[in-house]
Amino acid sequence: MGPWARMLWTLLSGLRGRRGGIQGWAFGLWPPYLPQPRLLSPTELVSHWTRVFEKRGIPEARESSEYIVAHVLGAKTFQSLQPVLWTQPLTPQQLQCVQELCSCRLQRMPVQYILGEWDFQGLSLKMAPPVFIPRPETEELVEWVLEEMAQRPHVMEAQDGPRILEVGCGSGAISLSLLTQLPKSQVIAVDKEEAAISLTCENAQRLQLQDRIWIVPLDVTSEGSWMHLLPWGPMDLVVSNPPYIFHQDIEQLAPEICSYEDPVALDGGEEGMDVITSILTLAPQLLKHSGSIFLEVDPRHPELVSSWLQSQPDLHLNLVAVRRDFCGKPRFLHVQKSGP
Amino acid sequence: MSTLGLLRGPAALARACLGLWSLRLGEKRTLLSPGGPAAMLQVARKRDYPALLPLDESELEEQFVKGHGPGGQATNKTSNCVVLKHVPSGLVVKCHQTRSVDQNRKLARKILQEKVDVFYNGENSPVCREKREAEKKKQERKKRAKERLEKKKVLKELRESSRNPAVDSTAGSD
Repeated sequence: MGPWARMLWTLLSGLRGRRGGIQGWAFGLWPPYLPQPRLLSPTELVSHWTRVFEKRGIPEARESSEYIVAHVLGAKTFQSLQPVLWTQPLTPQQLQCVQELCSCRLQRMPVQYILGEWDFQGLSLKMAPPVFIPRPETEELVEWVLEEMAQRPHVMEAQDGPRILEVGCGSGAISLSLLTQLPKSQVIAVDKEEAAISLTCENAQRLQLQDRIWIVPLDVTSEGSWMHLLPWGPMDLVVSNPPYIFHQDIEQLAPEICSYEDPVALDGGEEGMDVITSILTLAPQLLKHSGSIFLEVDPRHPELVSSWLQSQPDLHLNLVAVRRDFCGKPRFLHVQKSGP
Repeated sequence: MSTLGLLRGPAALARACLGLWSLRLGEKRTLLSPGGPAAMLQVARKRDYPALLPLDESELEEQFVKGHGPGGQATNKTSNCVVLKHVPSGLVVKCHQTRSVDQNRKLARKILQEKVDVFYNGENSPVCREKREAEKKKQERKKRAKERLEKKKVLKELRESSRNPAVDSTAGSD
């Protein structure tokens, strides 16, 4: 996270903590985007900030203002706000709050970091930069895993089944939604970044799932690191949304991503395959026979993974299925281990 | 415009639709353990309504997140409004109720299924019938509440008049 972004985040965290007693702007740099002197209703406020964002070229102008205003009023989306509230004026404190949050949006901070929370598979998770924000596509990865598990009754009926390893847990989105929807599952979640470890830990506690998840700082790309995971026994599943962006594409990413999210969570190396191949290399050592690996990848990867696996026959892994995301792009891979 | 990928598998969505439908009826969910009927923890007061007309995925056109860009990790968009159209009837549902594209898709299907059923079945649709039932119950509750209030009033007056025996009961309260 760049120095300006870090400063902004610190200010926002401070403001958030003292929400009740904020006096005014100490920062000469903050532009006074004050609405009209009279109190505004949510609808008017959203229109106001939409115009401001549009003028400044902020993407998703309307969505951003809707989420921020809804959040200040205690709702997750604007559409889910009680219609009776749409025309009721906000209090001065609420207006102030909206203004602070919108100022962050003017600095291209992602909405999820501004709100400090986001939803994934119906779970509310804390979000904090620079930990990677879960993407909507990844919800489909979880759905696929659940569908597959439903077809393996022997795994589901086991005392602590399925046993799942997640690589690159970030905020804990994948692990925690699997734990929630597979009541007997156990998860080992690893990440190489301390901030991700802390955030997953915090989210696990918020959801009271800490008893079924082990969160381990680990860099799977470093030689032999997987051996640290052997004590947890053979896994039924390895699941991951690993950094898969091609290195050359990183600088073209939107400022929301470049300035605030950890590049380590995005950069997959020259062909975006570095972490993917590490996972595929370590998986056979940790998976049970016929165990599965589910990955989210770049649309160019299904072919690349297929060729790579063919060049690694000793791994005894087969690409059994490719699934498309809601935009029709090949996004998810199911690789299965054959052999002991 | 991308139609729902047939590769996606409607099974999960159908499962979710039915689950959501039973929640919407507002009745308690049935929790069944493998032990069978004897192990039912809560009984759902199920209505004897026939199921709604099922939606055929091949007749639906779905649209979301225009200009989603490369998608996946390379994109961070929060707009997840789903616009779902039932082509034969022309009915359209727009759903932005939740922060999840997946949830919005399921909700959109549920809402569209109800609309389509009303479109083809009119008054006979379970959707309409249930509305009428709910309205009838509401009126009955109101009526009973009113009656209870009236009874209380009468009792109160009786109690007060018997507490003051000096007052001529035929004179009425003052």
